[in-house]
Amino acid sequence: MPWLAIKLPELPLQIFTRGLADEDTPLGVIDSGRRNRILAANGAACAQGVFAGQALSAAQAMAPKLQLQARQTAREAALLNEIACWAGRFTPRVSLAPPDTVLLEIGASLRLFGGVDVIRQQAREGLLQLGIEARLACAPTPLAACWFAACGQAPAGGIDWREALDGLPLSVLGSGADGDPALPQTLAHAATACSASTLELLDGLGARSIGAVRALPAAGLARRQAQAVGLLIARARGEQPDPRPWFEPPARFSHELALPAPTHHSEALLFAARRLFTSLSAWLRARHAGIDHCRLSLVHEGSGETPLDIVLGHPSDDAEHLALITRERLGMQVLPAEICILRLEAEHPLERGAHATDLFGTPGQARDEALRLLDRLRARLGDGAVRRLAPLADHRPEVAWKTCGEQPRSSQAEPSLTRNLRPLWLLPAPRAIDPRQYTLLGNAERIESGWWDEGDIHRDYYLARRDDSSLCWVFHDLASPDGWFLHGCFG
Amino acid sequence: MAQLLENLPAGLVWQGSHLALPPGGILPTGFPALDAELPGGGWPAGALIELLAEHPGVGELSLLLPLMRKAGAERWIACIAPPLLPYAPALAAAGVPLQRLLLVQPSSAAEALWAARQATASGACALVLTWLARPDTAALRRLQLAAEESATPLFLFRTRGMAHHASPAPLRLALAPTTGGLRIDILKRRGPPAARPVLLSWCDDTTATNDACAGTARRLALVG
Repeated sequence: MPWLAIKLPELPLQIFTRGLADEDTPLGVIDSGRRNRILAANGAACAQGVFAGQALSAAQAMAPKLQLQARQTAREAALLNEIACWAGRFTPRVSLAPPDTVLLEIGASLRLFGGVDVIRQQAREGLLQLGIEARLACAPTPLAACWFAACGQAPAGGIDWREALDGLPLSVLGSGADGDPALPQTLAHAATACSASTLELLDGLGARSIGAVRALPAAGLARRQAQAVGLLIARARGEQPDPRPWFEPPARFSHELALPAPTHHSEALLFAARRLFTSLSAWLRARHAGIDHCRLSLVHEGSGETPLDIVLGHPSDDAEHLALITRERLGMQVLPAEICILRLEAEHPLERGAHATDLFGTPGQARDEALRLLDRLRARLGDGAVRRLAPLADHRPEVAWKTCGEQPRSSQAEPSLTRNLRPLWLLPAPRAIDPRQYTLLGNAERIESGWWDEGDIHRDYYLARRDDSSLCWVFHDLASPDGWFLHGCFG
Repeated sequence: MAQLLENLPAGLVWQGSHLALPPGGILPTGFPALDAELPGGGWPAGALIELLAEHPGVGELSLLLPLMRKAGAERWIACIAPPLLPYAPALAAAGVPLQRLLLVQPSSAAEALWAARQATASGACALVLTWLARPDTAALRRLQLAAEESATPLFLFRTRGMAHHASPAPLRLALAPTTGGLRIDILKRRGPPAARPVLLSWCDDTTATNDACAGTARRLALVG
């Protein structure tokens, strides 16, 4: 069964419900053509008595808190594309069957994943993470898979799939056509459904199932301009070729998610953003790549948007990690207005080595976790607050070190210029002291250096003991005879 | 009764007169005198450890140098909100892998607490050193839990005055400098109260502080 069909029932509604964390909010979608009719309603709205096809005024009377959204066909097509991108994790051969179906040719992936049932199970779980309800069905031909998915019934084991196909109701013949003229009529689309007049004719002839249509004489159907039905059924049965155009995933990831109600709650925003990150993760996995930078744009109600740049220290394709970084960034962000749309954009996927799995744990895991901690700390505290130290070759104590944000370029540290003892703690700036409270130990170490960069010093450094017998590092400034300063402590 | 107790499986019952074995692993301190007094014979690998010192510079970093030297190649040594600057050339000379040292300087006490908890809970740190301003008991308990779950030793530096306040940390040590060494009073441990303080001498340890001892001796000779 090499074809898997993913059909999204109530697609006009799903583009809004997938970003909705709270399922109790009644939500309805209005048809753009017939403004006064409800096209689809979610479970909470249906429970209050709203149904598809109901007049808008009646629906509002039944559910006063009903939130209404106009249908957005462009978004529906975009969601279909997003799912096609996501499906790249199962097979490179994905085909779109507008308006609401994605077809996957899984013949070559069966062995890798371990069978049809495993793929179907993983696809179902993955779609739930994307926030999408879908009907899945497998069949040897793409059209048959579409039809089984449309009816919500899979061919049971033991029965020949062609027999199961004969039992499908007549309505599946029209399932590919949505009757929406705004959608582009592609070649494949035109050939996957028959017109409403043909369906009416067949219904009038008394045919109730595909099997009954097949039993009708072909010559008679041709005389009534209905020969296309025969061709369609032949394709579904695999008797005629059914070529499909392959979907090509875009080179750059850019997807939007419309929030059902404008909000500024970071938890609600994060919930919706998680859906996008899951999708991004699948897009990256299909390419065996990772990203180290992506941009989440928060589009305000009204106008304007707040861009949120999410920068990682190393390429990653982990949705959970991206969501954690975003949580820290969102927590700090001040939003001027409520958000109605989230848009996630990513470019330049970076090549990433495949993870080798090991019986004794993953080898690179510790390193990955270390880099993740660095990303989290930086996202919350800012880049300047998280640093690393490196020694510098300089005789002056205060410039003999530097901080570096990134991994040092060379692992070879600069050689130390002195073998003398240095304190483990250095004061940020030398502090003037009363020399009578310190006992000097040992001989002076004279440091005179820095004439070339205005940081000229002339100092005699001593080990010293304080009253509580802790050791510290003091110096006598040769430029001022009374100048005694504390510069470090031997921790 | 004594025979009954001896026949019990190890670790099931802890007798107050013996040192308990901490649930996680043990990390040797590098100082045999201190190891002998600590439950299990070293730092507990998954616990909040309080080190109380009057001011920075009594020898608290030298005490942890052996542990810092052994930090794994892929884990951090996190220094959160240190009061002074850890001096890179001295650390490098003491053998601390500087490329693994993470210096975190948060802008507020709340952020420092957050960073300490994140660093500990992530399990990506070999050890966490933190200087928190005034953590309350609930915060300390959360830190202790994070350390326990991720098996990361978390060293919290506080002032000597905090010795009288209760703390959920299973190990509390008070540090005071002595001439050429460090005096450690074990305030709390899982075991009988410590009879006497542990005295460490830096001269026993083969660190760079050898010179300090030599310098001290020379000076004392001159004075005497």
